[in-house]
Amino acid sequence: MNESSLLRVLDRFKGGFGKIGVDYPVMRRILQVKLTMDGRRVPTIIGKSRKKDGEDGGTEKNQFFGSLWLYLIFGAFSSMFVALGDNFIFQMSLVFGIFMFMIMTSLISDFSSVLLDIRDRNILSTKPVNRRTIAMAKMLHICFYMFFLTGAIAIVPLGVGLVRHGVGFFLLFAVELVLMDLLIVVITALIYLGVLKFFDGEKLKDFINYVQIGLTIAIALGYQLLIRLFDFVDMQQAAFQPKWWQFALPPLWFGAPFETMLHRDGNPLFLLLSLLALAVPVLAFLLYLKLMPSLEKNLQKLSDPGSRKKESAGKGLKAISRLLCSSPQEQVFFRFAWTMMGNEREFKLKVYPSIGFSLIFPFIFLFTNGTEGGISGLPGSKLYLFIYFCALLVPSVLLMLKYSGSYKAAWIYRVLPIGDRVPVYRGTLIAAVVRLILPLYAAEAVIFAILFGAGVVPDLIVAGLAILVYTVICFAYLSKALPFSERFETAQQSEGLRMIPLMLLLSAFALVHYVATMISFGTYVYAALLLAANWILWQKAFTAKLP
Amino acid sequence: MIYNGEGGNMTIDNSPVITLRDLRKKFADSYVLNGIDLDVHPGQIIGYIGPNGAGKSTTVKIMLGLVEGYTGEVRIFGASPSDGGVEYKKRIGYVPEVAEMYDTLTAREYLTFIGELYGLSFMEAESKAKRLMEMFGLRGVFNVRIATFSKGMKQKVLIISSLLHNPDILFLDEPLSGLDANSVMVVKEILALLAAQGKTVFYSSHIMDVVEKISDRIILLDGGRIVADGSFEQLKGQSQEGSLEQIFNQLTGFNEHREIAEQFVAIVQEV
Repeated sequence: MNESSLLRVLDRFKGGFGKIGVDYPVMRRILQVKLTMDGRRVPTIIGKSRKKDGEDGGTEKNQFFGSLWLYLIFGAFSSMFVALGDNFIFQMSLVFGIFMFMIMTSLISDFSSVLLDIRDRNILSTKPVNRRTIAMAKMLHICFYMFFLTGAIAIVPLGVGLVRHGVGFFLLFAVELVLMDLLIVVITALIYLGVLKFFDGEKLKDFINYVQIGLTIAIALGYQLLIRLFDFVDMQQAAFQPKWWQFALPPLWFGAPFETMLHRDGNPLFLLLSLLALAVPVLAFLLYLKLMPSLEKNLQKLSDPGSRKKESAGKGLKAISRLLCSSPQEQVFFRFAWTMMGNEREFKLKVYPSIGFSLIFPFIFLFTNGTEGGISGLPGSKLYLFIYFCALLVPSVLLMLKYSGSYKAAWIYRVLPIGDRVPVYRGTLIAAVVRLILPLYAAEAVIFAILFGAGVVPDLIVAGLAILVYTVICFAYLSKALPFSERFETAQQSEGLRMIPLMLLLSAFALVHYVATMISFGTYVYAALLLAANWILWQKAFTAKLP
Repeated sequence: MIYNGEGGNMTIDNSPVITLRDLRKKFADSYVLNGIDLDVHPGQIIGYIGPNGAGKSTTVKIMLGLVEGYTGEVRIFGASPSDGGVEYKKRIGYVPEVAEMYDTLTAREYLTFIGELYGLSFMEAESKAKRLMEMFGLRGVFNVRIATFSKGMKQKVLIISSLLHNPDILFLDEPLSGLDANSVMVVKEILALLAAQGKTVFYSSHIMDVVEKISDRIILLDGGRIVADGSFEQLKGQSQEGSLEQIFNQLTGFNEHREIAEQFVAIVQEV
C-alpha cells in the first residue's frame, strides 16, 4: 500500500482524464510531489508517538498509513453495532454517526493543508498548467486519503455486515459510504468557505486548531464511551419515534435506506430520509463545483495579515501581573508567557487535550471505583480526594512551556540584558498557573462541591494549596529550559519516564491529605504546612539546584 | 564593465512582447491600477519601481494570470491571460517576492518538479538543475530539504527554478534579497547577458542603486499610474536630481524624510 500503486491505478484512466481536459502527465507529477510531501508530515492522531525526523532518511514512509490502525480499531468497535440485531435505523444511524465524526474531524485536522494550500497559487498557477489539471490533482489528492480513511474504518463493519446480513446489506452499505464521503468533503469545503467569507484567515486557522484539539480529546474518550455504551443502550427494544429535527441529522438519512430497501419498510418517513441520503450529497457536490472558484479566491485571505482585535490595552493583565509578580522583569515574562499561551496554536494543540483529559480523569476514577451508592452516596465519603488526579496535567503543561513553533525567536533571550533567569522562570510559571492550572482546578472544584456538598469546600481549598506546592516541585524537578525556546519535534519520549516519580508524588499528597482528615484538626495543620511550603518554595525553588 | 545595455538588441525582432492598454484593477472600492499603458520590447531590462502599494505586484500578477477581474487589455506574446490559455506561461520565468516553495522537498525534487511543469523532461530538468546549483555553489545541498536552507540559498533555488526552461520574459520581484555581495554580482551579470540575448527582464525592487545600475528603462509607478518612464539618463534630465533615489522621492512627492527621521530619533532618545 503506497503512493506509487495509486499512481499506477490512475495510469489506467489516462485516456479518460485527457478527454475532460486534464493534462495527465502533469497532474500525475503534481500528485506525486504532493504525496511525497505528505510523507514528511505527521498527522494529529499519532502526534504523540512521533519519531525523530531524520534530515533525509531513505526510510521515508507516509505517516498517514501508520495512523490507519487507529481507525481500524474504531471501525472494529462500531462493527458491533452492525452485528447487534436488525433494528437497522438505530444501528446504522449510530454507525454512520461515528464514521462521519471520525472522518470529518480527521479531514479537517490533517488534510486542511490540502484544501487550503496557498502556495499552490504562486507555484503552480504561474506555470503553464491549466486550471482543470490543478483542480483535478487537488480533488484526487483528497479522495486518495478519503479512500484509505474510509476503507480502514469501514472494512471490519463491511465484513461483519456481509456475514451477518447478506450481500444486499453489504452493497447498500458500500454505496452509502461513497455518498457519505462526498457529503463530508463538500461540507468541509463549505465550512471553510463560510468562515473565510465572513472572517479572515486567522479565524479559520483557529477553527482548525480547535477541531484538532477536539479530535484528540474525542478519540481518547471514545474508547471509554464506546465500551460503556453497550450497558446503556438496548438496541432491540428501542422504537423509532419520528421528530421533525431528525431530518437535520445526516446519519439518520444514511440509516433509513436500510429500513426502506432491506426491510421493505414502506414508512414514508424512511422513504423521505432515504431520498435525502441520495439527493443531498449529489446536490451538495453540484453546489461545491459552483462555489469552488469562490473558495480559491477567498484562499488569498489566508496569506493576508488578518485583522486582529483592536488594541486592547491589557490593563487587566497588567494589574494581575503587578499583583502576582515582584520584579518588573518577572511581570514582563508573566505577560509574555500569558500571551504566548493564548496565541500559539501549536502550544494549544499540544496542551489543551491534556487539559481536557485532566478535567475528566477524576470523574472516570470516581465512577469506576466504588460508586455503589450512586451520586447520592458521594456526600460524606472521602472520594473527593480524586480531585488530586486533575493535577496530572501539571507536569505535561510545564514540560510544554519550553516548546514553541517559532522557537528560533528565542535568540532574544541571549541578546537582551537578562542577567538572572529566575524572573523568567517564575513569571512564566505564574502565568501558566493563573492561565491554565487554577481555572481548571476551580472548575473541577465547583463540580465536586456540588456533588459532595458544601462541607468539602475547606478540603478542596487545601487540595488546591497542595497542587500549588506540587506545581512548583514539578517545575524544579523537570529539566529547566527557557520558555518557548525549543522546537516541538524535539519533544522526547524519555521525558515521559521522568513523569512517573511526579505521579507518585501526587498520590503521596493525596494520601497525606487522606490521613490528615482522620485526625482532628489534621486538615488545618496540613493546610498550614502547605501554606508555609508555598511561601518558601515559590521563593527558593527557582534558584535551588535539583538533579 | 558590469553591463552594456545596448548590445545585441539590433538583430532581434523588435515587436513588443508585453502590451498593456488602459489596465485598471479595483480591489474593494479603490483602484490599485489606474490605467497603465505599456509596451515592452525584447532585450530590455525594465526597472519597475514605486512605493509600497503602488500596484507593482498586482501588475505582475495580472500578467501571470494570478489576479483576475481587471479591465483594459493585456497581451503577452500576443496572448491574453484572461483567455484561459496557459501556453504563454511556458515562456515566462517568475521569482515571487515571498520565497514560497514546497520546502519539505529537496532542491533536486523541487527543481525537477518545476522543470517538468514547464515541459522539460525529468532528465533534462535534473541535469540542468544540478549544473546550475553547482554554479551557485550549492552542489553539496542538492539533495537536502529546502526547509533547512538559509535565505540566500532559498533565493538561489528560486532564481534557478525561474530559469530552468530558458524563458523569454523574466518577472523578478526583489530577486537579490538575501544574496551575498558576490552572488549579487553574478546575478546582475546573468541578467545583463540574458538581456543581451534578447530576453526581457521585468525587475521590481526597492533598492534604487541596483535598479539605477542595471535597468535600460525605468518605470515608476505611483497610485496605480505610471509617473515616469525612460532611461535613467532621461529621468535625470527631466527632474534635475542626481540619483534615482532622489528622483523617486521627488516624483512620488515625498520630501519629509528629514523631518520624519528627526522625530524618530527624538523618540528613540526619550529613555
